[in-house]
Amino acid sequence: MNISIRQLFGRKPKSSSIAKQRLKLVITQDRFDVDDRVMTRLHHELAEVLAKYFEFSANSVKMDLKQEGNSYILVADFPYTKFHETNMRQ
Amino acid sequence: MGRVIVVTSGKGGVGKTTSTANLGTALALLDKTVAVVDADVGLRNLDIVMGLESRIVYTSMDVIEKQCELSKALVRDRRVDGLMLLAASQKNNKDDIQPEQMKAICDKLRTTHDFVLIDSPAGIERGFSNASAGADEAIVVTTPDVSAIRDADRIIGLLQNARIEPINLVINRFSPQLVGNGSMMDQDDVLDILNIELIGVVPEDSGVINSTNRGIPLVYEDGSPGAQAYMRIARRLTGQRIPIHNFEQKGLLNNIVNWFTRKR
Repeated sequence: MNISIRQLFGRKPKSSSIAKQRLKLVITQDRFDVDDRVMTRLHHELAEVLAKYFEFSANSVKMDLKQEGNSYILVADFPYTKFHETNMRQ
Repeated sequence: MGRVIVVTSGKGGVGKTTSTANLGTALALLDKTVAVVDADVGLRNLDIVMGLESRIVYTSMDVIEKQCELSKALVRDRRVDGLMLLAASQKNNKDDIQPEQMKAICDKLRTTHDFVLIDSPAGIERGFSNASAGADEAIVVTTPDVSAIRDADRIIGLLQNARIEPINLVINRFSPQLVGNGSMMDQDDVLDILNIELIGVVPEDSGVINSTNRGIPLVYEDGSPGAQAYMRIARRLTGQRIPIHNFEQKGLLNNIVNWFTRKR
């Protein structure tokens, strides 16, 4: 808004505010960009825990990072075929 | 027990060594006992910035290799009481030191000094992990430009993962004039991005180059804006509550000047 009013009067936005905008974008990316090796490890660890409760085939599992506004969401799909009922008791 | 503080930045050339030299000296001028440690093995500079280069006999490498006692490797700064320097070896490289060995040195130094300041090398590799291994706290130095801030954010993430806290920010080479005409981010912009505690803003000061040329840290000849800024940071480190100085030039005259000098 601020920028559009300035532009109406033929003024360029200040370079400091451009710097801030660009930095915010790139830093959000830097902060959430997860290393592939870390994703693989997380995948294995999650599968290990879930295998105690569910039966699923390893190649049906999907893991992904999705950006929504300023935050990222980790989406993991573990389609399971069976629930191990014995683990309910403890 | 003294506090071990790593002075770091990610990006090179933002003023880590100058800040370590001045904060170490400033703390000593405030009657604290201080050890400054150069962790930039292979590319040491803290000794020359502090004007102690001709007096280095032993380095941290000699202490690690048990060639000499830690107390013998410390060089006393004769201009002020309670200030010592532990130099880095110039002929070795960063991989020759293990993080645990640096930690052992820091743990020993903290028993005899109120503050141990570690001058970290640039980068996020081994040199940084060595420098931060023995630290409880960190001072992140940045300049108000995109590359330094981006790298600072990366370093802050690594420090947080290592559970080093508090992490305090120093904004160096701040130019009130450039902020005034809109070509430099101000301290609120930087804090909005980095989201850590600000411990001080050091204005761009031509005195820094003269003081480095002579090997006399700025704070010895106080009066310059840079020296005053470092003294305020040192006071804040000792727990004194001093509000952050506002360098921004406000007022009608400045607004008029800025209006004429702004970018179109």
